Amino acid sequence: MRALRGRPPTFWMGVVVALVSLVVPVALNDSQLTVYVFIGLSVIVVAGLSLLMGFAGQISLGQAAFYAIGAYTAALLTRALGVPPLVSLAAATAFTAGVAVVVGLPLLRLRGHYLAFATLAFQLIVLSVIGEARGLTGGDTGMPGIPTLSIGPLAIQGQYRAFVYAYVTWVLVVGVLLFNRNLVRSRPGRGLRALATSEAGALAAGVPVARYKLQVFALSAAYAGLAGGVYAFFVSYIAPGSFPVLLSIQFLIMATVGGLGSVWGSAVGAVVVYLLVQVLQSVGTGPGLPPQLPAILSYAVYGLVLVLVMTFLPQGLVPALQARVAARRQVSALEAQARGQLD
Amino acid sequence: MSLFLTYVVSGIATGCTFALVATGFVVIYRVSRVVNFAQGVFAVIAGMVASSLLTRNLPHGPAEVLAVAVAALAGLAVGAIAIGRPGTPPLASLIITLGLGIGSYAVIILIWGDQPVSYSGLPGLARLEGISIQLQFLLVVAVTAITFALLSLFFDHTYPGKALTACSSNPYAARLVGIDVRRMGLVAFALGGALGGLAGVLITPLQPVSFDSDVGIAINGFAAAIFGGLLRPGTALVGALVLGVAEALVAGYYRASFESGVALVIMLGLMVWRASRGAIAEEPE
Repeated sequence: MRALRGRPPTFWMGVVVALVSLVVPVALNDSQLTVYVFIGLSVIVVAGLSLLMGFAGQISLGQAAFYAIGAYTAALLTRALGVPPLVSLAAATAFTAGVAVVVGLPLLRLRGHYLAFATLAFQLIVLSVIGEARGLTGGDTGMPGIPTLSIGPLAIQGQYRAFVYAYVTWVLVVGVLLFNRNLVRSRPGRGLRALATSEAGALAAGVPVARYKLQVFALSAAYAGLAGGVYAFFVSYIAPGSFPVLLSIQFLIMATVGGLGSVWGSAVGAVVVYLLVQVLQSVGTGPGLPPQLPAILSYAVYGLVLVLVMTFLPQGLVPALQARVAARRQVSALEAQARGQLD
Repeated sequence: MSLFLTYVVSGIATGCTFALVATGFVVIYRVSRVVNFAQGVFAVIAGMVASSLLTRNLPHGPAEVLAVAVAALAGLAVGAIAIGRPGTPPLASLIITLGLGIGSYAVIILIWGDQPVSYSGLPGLARLEGISIQLQFLLVVAVTAITFALLSLFFDHTYPGKALTACSSNPYAARLVGIDVRRMGLVAFALGGALGGLAGVLITPLQPVSFDSDVGIAINGFAAAIFGGLLRPGTALVGALVLGVAEALVAGYYRASFESGVALVIMLGLMVWRASRGAIAEEPE
């Protein structure tokens, strides 16, 4: 019990959010559960992207490429080679990280807008390779009939399929977020924070800048690969069209909204942006409304959110709220002190 | 041989449109240090506006000029939002222009729908060295040549042009001699918009544009722009021609679907090569 005393309010908020999200799936129907799973997978990807952008200061416009690589690796291993799904999932995660290391070695020499365009180019190349390798991936028509996740004879299927996937996603999200939280507080995490403030300063203080950048890049890719693998097993059909450039931008928006480098912010950003777009899509698809309306609404929201957040809240929602709470506390502490002096 | 020449000529024409987009990137980057992700959008907007005006029976010429003017206004608007608040770091401005690019999809679909549009350009063929060339190709090349000549006159012989160059070489010193650096940034954005728009009205007859054509246009333009390290329009022109011809040859002799891959691979290779030589390693954040 003593270990719990004196925990900051954010800790308790995290516990409450975790418990609520654990209970929520019980009340959801199948299509809502699907949204729940997709949000969870987005949180996993965004958690990596947020680390990469917030700590390593590297922008990636190609995160959906790693999502695609994870999805195709997992699907191919299980569908074509009959590898057990869990093994495929682990292999997909590791392979995606490996690709990131190979790609990152040259690309991470670039910065800022050069890296942005380079990662965008990387994604376009990945998509066109997947589209061209018809024998392996089914090309642009996609790959149907991907088996579901299973452990031995226990496969996730039937009436409770989406329900079980919701919990699989929950466990992965909690694992990823806790890993991030511990990473940020560890020695490499402190090095990364130094790197985010000033690369030259970090280098001078003995932080192995290049290696840390590559490792964070690989970690963010591994998260995306893991989420992609689960996505493939969950939806059982993938095509290059499932991983458009817009998906990368959507991940970027989620990371920016939540706050770059904020561990809990990545979860908040993903949930807020995903639900916002879902709500607008359902508003836009009524009878008598033009068929392009949902697309118009989501593009408008993406654009508006990016511009407004970058202009007025460049540090993101969660860090801004945290700063406000901290400032108010400081004020009330000062007030208390002043009152004490008056008495 | 005649097949080869045909590919080269069409490559030069596409290369010229890349050059216009690339110059837009360069003009904006030189003054404001912002890489404008919405650069391809100007081309799409101008193409759409021109096509709408032409279907309303406006003759060729005025329609294209109006479309370029609209693109320049769009450039001004993007600039006002991206660098309007003083002290916005370049990476934030980059994400803002990305947001504006995505947001413009909504406006474009709202006005013009999500289907590609096109209109007929200069009709007819010219015969040269035994091959026939679409007159539109020659028009593209001529317009690009004139534009580059005008730009070079503008930057070297007029006060606004010199002020823009001053802002790009040393913003602080430019402020000291009384140049409003932020206003010059907006001028650069408007000019960049006009150049993108010019590329758009020239491309649209050759290949239909739809709301999301901007990514491809921007990638090719950016790839050409980094030949000159994002700073030199002349080198960007050379880069654009190389890129255009290389893409046309790959599409002609090998496979059309690898056409865009050429720009991507050249761009990646060039950037990494330059970075490894330390040319673009230091980026003011």
